[in-house]
Amino acid sequence: MRRIPTKKLALRCTLLCTILVAAAFSQSAPSPPTEVVIKNATVMTVTHGNIKNGTVYIKDGKIVAVGENVSAPSSATVIDAEGKYLTPGIVDCHSHIALDDDVNEATSPVTPQMMMKDAFDYQDKAIYRALAGGVTTSLLLHGSANMIGGQAVVIKHKYGATRDEMLFPNAPGSIKFASGENPKRVYGSRDQLPSTRMGNFAVQRQALVEAQDYMREWDNYNEKVKRRDKDATPPKHDLKLEALADVLRGKLMVQIHIYRADEMLTEIALAKEFGYKIRAFHHALEAYKVSDQIAANNIGIATFADWWGFKQEAWDAIPWNATMAMRKGVRVAIKSDSEDYTRRLNQEAAKTIRYGGATEEEALKMITLNPAWIIGVDDHVGSIDVGKDADLVIWDGYPLSTTGVPEKVLIDGDVYFDRARAGFGTTHYKEGE
Amino acid sequence: MQPSSISQQQAASQQGWSGRRRSWPFTWALVLILISSTPALTQENPLALKGGKLLTITHGIIENGVIVMQGGKIIAIGTASSVKIPSGAQIIDATGMTIYPGLIDSETQLGLTEISAENMTNDLVEASDEIMPHMHTAEAFHAESALIPVARLNGITNAVVAPIDEDTLPGQDCFIQLAGANASEMLLIRDNAMPLNFTGEERRNKGGFDKRKFPSTRMGLASQLRQAFIDAEDYRAKWVDYDGKKTDAAQNKKPEPLAPKRDLKLEALIPYLEGKKTIVLAAETPSDLQTAVSLANEFKLKFVLNHIAHSQSVLDYVASLEVPVIVGPIYEAPKEYERYDAVYSLPAQLYKRGVKIVFASYSAHNVRNLPDQAGFATAFGLPYDEALKAITLNAAEVWGVADQLGSLDVGKTANVVVANGDPLDVKTDVQRVFIQGRAIPMTSRQTQLRDEYSK
Repeated sequence: MRRIPTKKLALRCTLLCTILVAAAFSQSAPSPPTEVVIKNATVMTVTHGNIKNGTVYIKDGKIVAVGENVSAPSSATVIDAEGKYLTPGIVDCHSHIALDDDVNEATSPVTPQMMMKDAFDYQDKAIYRALAGGVTTSLLLHGSANMIGGQAVVIKHKYGATRDEMLFPNAPGSIKFASGENPKRVYGSRDQLPSTRMGNFAVQRQALVEAQDYMREWDNYNEKVKRRDKDATPPKHDLKLEALADVLRGKLMVQIHIYRADEMLTEIALAKEFGYKIRAFHHALEAYKVSDQIAANNIGIATFADWWGFKQEAWDAIPWNATMAMRKGVRVAIKSDSEDYTRRLNQEAAKTIRYGGATEEEALKMITLNPAWIIGVDDHVGSIDVGKDADLVIWDGYPLSTTGVPEKVLIDGDVYFDRARAGFGTTHYKEGE
Repeated sequence: MQPSSISQQQAASQQGWSGRRRSWPFTWALVLILISSTPALTQENPLALKGGKLLTITHGIIENGVIVMQGGKIIAIGTASSVKIPSGAQIIDATGMTIYPGLIDSETQLGLTEISAENMTNDLVEASDEIMPHMHTAEAFHAESALIPVARLNGITNAVVAPIDEDTLPGQDCFIQLAGANASEMLLIRDNAMPLNFTGEERRNKGGFDKRKFPSTRMGLASQLRQAFIDAEDYRAKWVDYDGKKTDAAQNKKPEPLAPKRDLKLEALIPYLEGKKTIVLAAETPSDLQTAVSLANEFKLKFVLNHIAHSQSVLDYVASLEVPVIVGPIYEAPKEYERYDAVYSLPAQLYKRGVKIVFASYSAHNVRNLPDQAGFATAFGLPYDEALKAITLNAAEVWGVADQLGSLDVGKTANVVVANGDPLDVKTDVQRVFIQGRAIPMTSRQTQLRDEYSK
């Protein structure tokens, strides 16, 4: 397979380029969202069917009305979307863009104290390219070198906004776990633990045991404080164990990089042993073999549409995985894990129609509402419903096809990308005009 | 003058793939063998597809058409009323279906890899040196690869197999058919072309000065290439001289002259120096492109261009070369300074300038997605018919097989695809594939797994 050298591309960005970008970013803060009406579109709501000639009324960045007959004040900005399709913004629940290659703190197999937010490179052009493909929200995850990686950051693709404006407000925390070939290869090649799958799980279990002890110490201390015990001395704060204790307390959602069915069963067993919940299996290429068990534990999957064969544990991958798991009741998301594929997740979702006969709504859900659930932001994004964030894509052409492409992308009711615009097509980022 | 060095390909192809760490039940292995190796392609009785929409490529669309195949060839095509189906023909109702010629992928690594991360399954490039023209992908081509049925189930019937681009001259391509009893049947043309890569990716040991090996710069790459072609010219001259002396000796009863020592590397370059075979000249940026073209012109090489994903500023120059372009892939990431659709729109920009374009998956596992790329290019201005031609007739022309492949025409090889819709749409499901008129089993290792776990 031809390798696209994205790393080198990033490194080759010259000093001049950096200065230009910095200038462009500081010039233009987003204007506050106003009232917007999108008219005459085929509105694909994801939750309550399609509305032909539908209207969506947006106020203060939120959807306030959706339907055939929606009245909006004449002061609102009107976007006529006749002949176009309107969908929720795409949500990519597995991405490593905008981290300037700081994806893996591969110096120890247990690094839950890593915060991806600290590496978030909000000026990365990959955010813009994904935006131009209709992506409005992404979960930026730690890599899979470590059995227990770092804590993810959820971003909105408001390219041209400030760093803090691009962080998804009040998104719940997620932590990345991994399994299988990657941890054992990374540490095995250094003659360290883990170098096998039993080593992998031993490392994970050991970390969780330590977290239990840590949590108990703190619980004891807090109990003493409550009893006004004067001898109460606080245990030492440990960021690593604190993060794992948050897993055990259910404060962090567990997102597991995993391929093989047997490992999924082991992870389910481990979660039961330690009393935490798994939010989603990522990649999950053999989910179709154990769909019943995944569904029974209310675990989502974030999978590829048709990737396979890139490593041994991806050898049994089949493109029917998503639909087969879905039919057994698993909540399925199609994700990119790629700077490339995140630009056309609509096409990846459309493949589930071909492989296994997903309906239009089911396919669309796999790149909107379901990944939003995996991230824990499905109350805010992922469908066109009243009260949700006005993260919307106007498509020129049917979105679940090879030829449908975004014409405009709105985030919080504000247009961030407009294909018809000169330069980069961005409204808040001005370079190239 | 240069004896063919290709022989043992059978031995290579009969080697079962090994190196798996996981064991399958024996039956699985058996199933794999049965579905990957197809019996010899003989088609005696005529077979007619009736009622479909025929995308002929060369003479428009025929609604409610009939296509008849026999002896591995297309023997009739036309409207239902104009074509008389021979008696005794097997008739398949294709009402509601779209029928088109088998698709051609202009650069793949099919048969050179099974599992990317497992090196024992990879024969992608001989990276020990830059100048490796005596490497023949035909000799590594694994006919029983599990990847081949996966690709052909989506209507890809022919492909170029090329080494990956880590060397400037990584070896010679072959042109395959994705079905056949064995490698011999599938290898339609051995050594049909040779990549010459000049993208900067071929530099050795980029990084610290202490680690570098020659050539570590583009000037190093270029000088090495130039030396190789000069050496090949000298080598050729030596053999021409020898042939002359030999003829003279035979005619004049002189003692036979001593033959020059054979050099496989230089020998392999001669058909390219003589313009008998095509160089696939890869570059990405305007500067690399022009350096590569200068080199090719210096030695009067016949070439087609490859990639040129970031050469938008010199497309008029590209057009002036009057050579076809294997474009992209259009999924190549734009440069920092480029708009998001800079590469997506490249096929349309080239077409506008009269350049013949073809598409390639540049892949092994994702060959099946070749038509998606063509379809996507239409969203950025490439006319639909041109997109379809870029994976059928244009490709057949570039690879010198347009008399046999690339369109639905009488006399051509019966590589025919029947699908439930537009071949360029990602949702379209291929229902039947015929290669040399023979119905390909619509099974792969993946369908077997699907069926096994759907019980």
